[in-house]
Amino acid sequence: MTLAKWFPHTQLRDPSWLSFIFGSTQMAPLWLLARAYLGYQWLLAGWHKVYGDERWIAVKGEDGQALRSFWERQTAIPEQGRPAITYDWYRDFLNYMLEHEWYTWFSWVIAIGEVTVGLLLIVGLFTGIAALAGATLNFNFLLAGSASTNPVLFILAVLVLFGWKVAGWIGLDRWVLPALGTPWQPGAAVSTVAHRLERPQRRGLGRFGETGGHA
Amino acid sequence: MVKQLALITGVLAWVGVAAVAVLVVNAWQDDNQVLAFLPILAAVVVAWAIGEVVTHRVFGTWGEE
Repeated sequence: MTLAKWFPHTQLRDPSWLSFIFGSTQMAPLWLLARAYLGYQWLLAGWHKVYGDERWIAVKGEDGQALRSFWERQTAIPEQGRPAITYDWYRDFLNYMLEHEWYTWFSWVIAIGEVTVGLLLIVGLFTGIAALAGATLNFNFLLAGSASTNPVLFILAVLVLFGWKVAGWIGLDRWVLPALGTPWQPGAAVSTVAHRLERPQRRGLGRFGETGGHA
Repeated sequence: MVKQLALITGVLAWVGVAAVAVLVVNAWQDDNQVLAFLPILAAVVVAWAIGEVVTHRVFGTWGEE
C-alpha cells in the first residue's frame, strides 16, 4: 500500500484574485506600503536598542540588563491574578536562559536582528526571509506576554510573507531574486557559478574518477 | 563598463534608502510616526525611479525576459 494510492497527486489551484493579490506586480505599490511600514516599525523598535543612552548592547558593564529585567518581570508568577506567560514550557525556556545569563548575548541577537529586519524590509531585500524573521520575533514577544504592537505587526509580517514574490518588486528583490533564484529554481548567478564548478570536472577525470560521477 | 556603472548606481540608491531610514529614525524616534515614515517612503520611490531609469534599462528584470 503506497501513500500515493491514498493521496494521489492533484495540484489544487489558487483562485485568480488570490494569485493577483500575492503574485501580480500591479499590487507591488500596496506591498511596498505594507513592507516599508513594517520595516520602519522594526527599525524604530531596534534602533534605540543599538544606539543611544538606553541601548541594550555595548554598554559599560554587562550587556542585556534591560532584557534581563524584561525576562524576570515576565516569568514572575504573581500571588494573585494570572501570570504574564500562559505556557509553562515557554516560562521554563525563559527561566533557563535567565539562569544561564544568556541575556548578555541574546540582547545582541534581538537588537541587531530588529534593525536588520527593519532595513531589509525597507530596501526590499530578501523580503520573505525578513518578514519570517520579524514574525518569529513577534511570536516570541507574544508568547512572553507582551502584546503592544506585536499582534498587528505579526499579521502584517505573515501577509508580506505570503506575498514574498512581489513584496520586494519595488526594491532590491527585483534584481537579487532572479540572480539567486529559489531553492527549487536556481537563478542566473547561481547557475553560472554551478556551471563554472562543473567545468573542471568535465575537463579532467572528475571528482569521482573516469567512470564515475553521480548517476 | 556601462553595466558596472548601472549596478553601482542601483546599489548606491538603495544604500541611500537605508541611510535615510536610519537618519530619520535616529532624529525623530517615534515623535511623529506618520511624518517620519514619509521621507523613508519618498527615498524608496526615488531609488525605484533610479532603478527604472538606469538599472532596468541595462539589465532588464525578472519575469520580463
